[in-house]
Amino acid sequence: MNQMFKFGMILGVICLLATLVLAATYQVTKPKIEAQMRLEEQAALKAILPAADSFKEKTLDGIEYFEAFKGGSLSGYCLKITASGYGGYIRLIAGITPDGVIKGVRILEHQETPGLGSQIDQVKPGEKDPWFLRQFVGKSARTVAVKKDIDAITGATISSEAVTGAIRTGADVFLLKVKR
Amino acid sequence: MKMMGEFIKGLWRENPTFRIVLGLCPTLAVSTSVSNGIGMGVAATFVLIGSNIFVSLVRNIVPEKVRIPCFIVIIATFVTIVDLFMKAYSPALSRSLGMFVPLIVVNCIVLGRAEAFSSKEPPLRSIMDALGMGIGFTWALILISAIRELLGNGSIAGIYISRSFEPPLFMILAPGALLTIGLLIGMINYFTTKRR
Repeated sequence: MNQMFKFGMILGVICLLATLVLAATYQVTKPKIEAQMRLEEQAALKAILPAADSFKEKTLDGIEYFEAFKGGSLSGYCLKITASGYGGYIRLIAGITPDGVIKGVRILEHQETPGLGSQIDQVKPGEKDPWFLRQFVGKSARTVAVKKDIDAITGATISSEAVTGAIRTGADVFLLKVKR
Repeated sequence: MKMMGEFIKGLWRENPTFRIVLGLCPTLAVSTSVSNGIGMGVAATFVLIGSNIFVSLVRNIVPEKVRIPCFIVIIATFVTIVDLFMKAYSPALSRSLGMFVPLIVVNCIVLGRAEAFSSKEPPLRSIMDALGMGIGFTWALILISAIRELLGNGSIAGIYISRSFEPPLFMILAPGALLTIGLLIGMINYFTTKRR
């Protein structure tokens, strides 16, 4: 019993020290990581709507989105969408025109299985953009569905459905609200 | 001289990938391009050095019965530090290594060195051991990924060498990794046994 207590104490002290070190590291790197994420977001916006010349960040009933302007007039929206994937949340940005046609999709962050689900943002050698996401371009955001419009990734049905479903519901809810 | 020996053994005689054949999971998975190989190698080397130092420092305090949890906590701490810094300063690398950085925690090279070496040896020698093993792991990764990237993508470190052939895609997929590593280990074994 005494020995058990002693062992527990030693392990506890080591864990405590580890926690302190990690808390410090987290504090140091947090602002830098957030800045990197904003940069990635900007790059994604440019890739989705290359013609737009300015973006304005907005929030509507908890939905974060960007309004894209071209020559002063509204040319589209970029929605920040979070999908529940196979290995965790998938954060993505979907660009749509005001009447709901998808202009492009970019994945910001995901934890899908390497080699299967991770193909949602895989770029094939010699190509510029992810082949799975390219399928969305030109489809109607409010009705987009796997099988009908989108070929699912072999071995990663859940990841494919998650991305497609999240864009569909995300765009549907958003367009209803923004029209009002 | 003894110090040097601890360093050099990891490079060839006890190379973690080719001779001890440990840590094959990350080796198979990330050796698709030279830059990934270098990134993974450097990250693992940093974790190895950090964990070896601390495991060696606490080796007389930690009771044998709870040593594995203690080692894992120390290793996991260093892996998280690497992961956070990579996310902050090299997001592209962090993205392409993906899940495999957190998985260094269970990389058997790291735990293997803690258990087999640094839990019995003083810190300085543990550092030499970690450096040798880390560099041994890194050069093995670079060699494997260079072969796979060249054959599977027609490039080395992102620079296209030749467009005269259509690169067989399977070399940068899983079968290519198994073939490359298998043939390399086979060749090394063939030449080392022949010399004896």
